[in-house]
Amino acid sequence: MNKLTFTILTAFFCAGISASPAFAHPHLWTEMRSQLVVSEEGLVTGVRVQWKTDKIYARDALDGFTKNADGNYSAEDLAKLTNENLTALSDYGYFVYFRFNNEKQKIGKAVDGQQIYTPKEGRLTLLFTVPLEQPIDPHKGTVSFKVYDPDFFIAFDYVNDKPLLISKPLAQGCSASLLPIPKDTKLDETRLMLSSKGKDWKPDEAEDFGGLFAQAVEVKCAP
Amino acid sequence: MRTLKFLAVALCAIFLCAAKATPVIMQFAATSEVKPFDSRRLMVQPRNADGSITVPPFLSDPVLWLRDEQQNLYSAMSKSMRDMGEKGWSAAFTLMLLSLGYGVFHAAGPGHGKAVVSGWLLATETQLRRGILVAFLSAMLQSLVAVVLVSGILLLVSGAAAVAKQAAGWLEVASFGMIAAMGAYVFWSGLKAFPRRQADTHSHHFEITNPLPAVHNHDHVHGPECDHAHAPTAKEVDGDWSWKRAAMLSFAVGLRPCSGALLVLLFAQSLGIYWAGVISTFVMGIGTFATVSVAATLAVYSKQLALRFAGRDTKWMTWLNFALRIGGGFTILLFGVLLLIASWQGLADSGF
Repeated sequence: MNKLTFTILTAFFCAGISASPAFAHPHLWTEMRSQLVVSEEGLVTGVRVQWKTDKIYARDALDGFTKNADGNYSAEDLAKLTNENLTALSDYGYFVYFRFNNEKQKIGKAVDGQQIYTPKEGRLTLLFTVPLEQPIDPHKGTVSFKVYDPDFFIAFDYVNDKPLLISKPLAQGCSASLLPIPKDTKLDETRLMLSSKGKDWKPDEAEDFGGLFAQAVEVKCAP
Repeated sequence: MRTLKFLAVALCAIFLCAAKATPVIMQFAATSEVKPFDSRRLMVQPRNADGSITVPPFLSDPVLWLRDEQQNLYSAMSKSMRDMGEKGWSAAFTLMLLSLGYGVFHAAGPGHGKAVVSGWLLATETQLRRGILVAFLSAMLQSLVAVVLVSGILLLVSGAAAVAKQAAGWLEVASFGMIAAMGAYVFWSGLKAFPRRQADTHSHHFEITNPLPAVHNHDHVHGPECDHAHAPTAKEVDGDWSWKRAAMLSFAVGLRPCSGALLVLLFAQSLGIYWAGVISTFVMGIGTFATVSVAATLAVYSKQLALRFAGRDTKWMTWLNFALRIGGGFTILLFGVLLLIASWQGLADSGF
């Protein structure tokens, strides 16, 4: 009855296809903090982001790396992962969108990348700084930035505990704040605005629709 | 028909080998050269100027191929959703098509109960029709759960994404717990049906194929002329179909909402076209159903094939059914328990 053994094996083999847990999961859930980077002169020079991604991502990303005795991974492996991630993220503008007086600002290459693995949670945290090409003096107008994926492939959420940090105190009279998620009335206004536009209308400066609804950080100075 | 079944099994084996072996082969090939960084580790894939991702050829890395195709589909879905405000129904139609495709691809990833459904079918089912039905029920239920969950959360709170994820974490634990329970049940019912050596050569009939509620009790005495070995009919083999159990399994599987559906709903809400997200979620469910029913078909055909090989031999048939039930039940149980432990540990800090 070799045939029988063979068929049973085949049957479970087939069930095994579907059970294969090594399938990469594409979506990312990210809990984030943003740190406004301010220079000695009080200029806004960029943002340092901290993205804690979900467990599934950590599993896929670290698969095949060897754990150290302390349950963590070698700095070398993590650094390699960070660099590769930053290279890929640069194609997406790091999902960071800066504006100055509503005008889109150019950003440079990300620096100071770091990836931390917390064995207890089994999650990875990616940190890096996105510099503005031109540092901005907040006294000259409103500086704002948003972190979001216009495709919503990655869900970015600010943490409740200290979502916004500032590297150095801003000048007297200036303040940075994380604006709340747009409420229904605000959304309705935006919708009304959108519906009044013609079919060929695009958001100014090509801000994606996704961005109209993302949480913004705004830096303002008293005149 | 027979050729078709062989083809199905062969295809499945080929796919599996391709999926498992290629990375290994690639690793061997790569050891001599500079090893390329495994792009499966990346948060996002490098992309072209037009925003698309270059998908590797299927054979070079099936897993990455699947994931990247999925991401491209998802991006296209997001775009068509954003277009909805401007183009209306034509964009809605595009969205539905994309959702269907996305569902098909997405279900090939983890979750969606392919393993559980096919394990269950291997253990208990011989009729394709009902296997497909279980796949359908679980896929639709999964869509429904996502819609109910997100709708409820949107009504109650503002920071929806984080809350949705947390709530989905709890549902996930419940789902895995129920899957483990269903596995334990199948395993136990298999044990109960342990094929005893029959002292009486006459009672060689097929109760064994039907270890649950015995629909088939032969009390009549067989004469010597009854020494024929007749293959059981389909009806005799599939005696323990129960709507209740099928519904319970579908519920266990479907209770865990899929992250893709949650994101589509939240995104649609943020664009002010929630209804489009709801429809898209159900269309995705149909796509999911298509993929899961392929797994279900393979499971049912594999079992039918096995039964056919054993068909003329009652003793082997007995053992085959016993083995499938024990094996299938144990697999589901193990699967459920492992997932349950993993998701329970992750719950305090849920990431799925």
